[in-house]
Amino acid sequence: MEEKLSILADAAKYDVACTSSGVDRKGKEGSIGSAFQSGICHTFTADGRCVSLLKILFTNECIFDCKYCINRSSNDVKRTTFTPDEVCNLTIEFYRRNYIEGLFLSSGILHSPNYTMDLIYQTLKKLRCEYHFNGYIHCKAIPGADPELIELAGWYADRMSVNLELPTADGLKNLAPHKSRKNILNPIRQIQSGIEESQELLGMSGGNKGAYWHTRRKLEGKTIEQKRKEDAIRYQSTKRIDNTGQLDNTGKLGNVGKLDNAGNLDNTGKLGTLKKKSSIILPGEAEERNWVQSAPTGLSKISQFAGSRGFVPAGQSTQMIIGATPETDFELISVTEALYQKFDLKRVFYSAFIRVNDDSALPVIPGGPPLLREHRLYQADWLLRYYGFMAGELLTKERPNFNVYLDPKCNWALGHLEEFPVEVNKADYYTLLRVPGIGPKSAGRIVKARRMASLNFADLKKLGVVLKRALYFITCDGKMMYPTKIEENYITRQLLNLNEALPKHITNDGMTYEQLSLFQIPNFS
Amino acid sequence: MKPVKIVQCVDSVEGIFTAVYDAWAMKYGHEFIKLEVIGMDESLNYELFSEYVLVEPDSLKAEKVAKSIRSKISEQAYELVVKAALSSDVRKADAIYHFLVRGFLMGKKVVDNLSDPYVQQIFEMNRFVGNETHFFKGFLRFVELKNGILLGKMEPKSNIVELLTPHFADRFAAENFMIVDMKRGVASIHQRNQEWFMTALEEEQMEALAAYDTEETEYSVLWKAFFKSVAIKERENYNLQRNQVRLRYRKHMTEFQE
Ligand code: SF4
Repeated sequence: MEEKLSILADAAKYDVACTSSGVDRKGKEGSIGSAFQSGICHTFTADGRCVSLLKILFTNECIFDCKYCINRSSNDVKRTTFTPDEVCNLTIEFYRRNYIEGLFLSSGILHSPNYTMDLIYQTLKKLRCEYHFNGYIHCKAIPGADPELIELAGWYADRMSVNLELPTADGLKNLAPHKSRKNILNPIRQIQSGIEESQELLGMSGGNKGAYWHTRRKLEGKTIEQKRKEDAIRYQSTKRIDNTGQLDNTGKLGNVGKLDNAGNLDNTGKLGTLKKKSSIILPGEAEERNWVQSAPTGLSKISQFAGSRGFVPAGQSTQMIIGATPETDFELISVTEALYQKFDLKRVFYSAFIRVNDDSALPVIPGGPPLLREHRLYQADWLLRYYGFMAGELLTKERPNFNVYLDPKCNWALGHLEEFPVEVNKADYYTLLRVPGIGPKSAGRIVKARRMASLNFADLKKLGVVLKRALYFITCDGKMMYPTKIEENYITRQLLNLNEALPKHITNDGMTYEQLSLFQIPNFS
Repeated sequence: MKPVKIVQCVDSVEGIFTAVYDAWAMKYGHEFIKLEVIGMDESLNYELFSEYVLVEPDSLKAEKVAKSIRSKISEQAYELVVKAALSSDVRKADAIYHFLVRGFLMGKKVVDNLSDPYVQQIFEMNRFVGNETHFFKGFLRFVELKNGILLGKMEPKSNIVELLTPHFADRFAAENFMIVDMKRGVASIHQRNQEWFMTALEEEQMEALAAYDTEETEYSVLWKAFFKSVAIKERENYNLQRNQVRLRYRKHMTEFQE
């Protein structure tokens, strides 16, 4: 058992989404377990990541051959498979000792996607119904499995995820030849509409929507009800597409290459021609018609499970591998944005590529996994979800990568000096948020405090504003803190001198993992 | 200048509240009064020109103070001072006293008075106690005794067993468990589907509990194996890990035991 666990935990560790957050659930009589909204870390690994869940693969006997994966069928590694009871037992006994917050069950593809999905579903069902486990469960939806099996698992899980793996169709074709966009996006869509429906049934009005949804809603000045109504209309029109009958039901779509042409985001005019051949993995409007057809129109088992904990109540997430394929940061955050917009994901995770296989199709990155780049993407992701930035504001096809030396928000502000200075006593919340040195906390405090009296720089400091960053971008009652040049190169240099505090997972003992020179030189001379 | 009166009390909510009661009753002038928990800070010098008064805990007096805080200040203020009283901060008794002096004057608005140093201290202590309680929701480890009872030992800085137990009582309603503060000798006892309660432990009991330390069991071995497997070699960073799980917490954490 010890060896089995080691193998299947080792095999699952590259999945980075190990959070137990997103749902609050009290203990229940006759059951063991509860769930805590903001998640709980139980320990931290030697690389400093939070361990919250028993994260394991059900099996690493995989028939697929994804080039980046340690478990690919062409690798000679020890293979093993749990039984459902083994997984249940481990979960319960670890949980009782307070080692973990719950279970994260992923899997390689044993025999077939359906066979594997069924095993996952059986395990979850057992854990909930026979072992009476009421704690947190995250499971994978296996690409290519029947919607029915995915739905069944979703009634027992708290969160589900389907990994996007690589942001472009080309990347996927090259590195994960057995996976297709259709097989990845269809379950994502299915889970999304299932969550919608279950929320309606349980009378939850937006309480469990992602941060991105709420931020856009607030920016548009809409109430939860208004925004949901709008969504419902859009959802209806999606359904109409389903019924037009012009869609191909052969299920071959992923392989015929038709989609690449139709669905190239270039055609929507949004992304332009970044890389001639790599079409962004997400569908444009035209493409949507092509694959959305097999998305089910709702939950088929709702009567059976009504009154339970709901369908995937903690929402869904996905993950992309960063640096295995040549996409730019701009492509990555555009995909992220589309995922939040169209699929209402709770989180998109980024995983710096680690070269576990010696394969000529994989890049060699000197200096190890691109951790700084991963960090910049998380920062940008945050800006999309909480600050109301659009991907196209942060990067463009002309400037497609983040600056190594400056965080994405500073980088944006320097490129948009015409929008500054901002008058602190007048600007609305989201405008304040765009000022370097002002975050959600201090912006909120400013909005509250200035109702009493007009604020000066000393007040701002007390409210938590980082003045040495903000001073170039704000006025208090029309005055700047002191006269300063408003000029891109000058301010850039000043900000660079402030030395951004990078998180410790990037700077180990003052060493930066990456060769900074790998990235573009910041655009100042 | 009047000499400062130093009112000393024992380290408990009851002890501190009693001292608050007695100090107040002295009518000596609040600015000349200082409260101190005995034995908390060895480094405190005996102040030659101060007058020391030792206060024995008295549940009736403490009860009265609690009631006045709730009715004359607010429920929130009450929670704040109780949590502060559980902290390991040597300034706590004094901060609580002067916070309450202001509270009885200003009423519930005292908590908005963030520029006041005593109010700040109270919040600071609350943050620390709150954070530590949250850490232990994750870091506490249970071992299963032969009779199926789960034993969770810990040595937190703050006195948080009581704050922590509701979380586990909800989660483990059907389990028999106890959570023990090995430093303070206090424990909470939860019996299957019953209300939990706090208790003080005798020395022999503590010794018996200490003996359970390093016993390997089937699941602790598996857990260690799991813990070892999930680390990613290419990202190894012990500095970061040390920041996240402070060494002082590791003693009772299975995965850090040899
Ligand atoms: S499907 Fe691909 S990524 Fe998943 S285990 Fe198999 S080879 Fe690895």
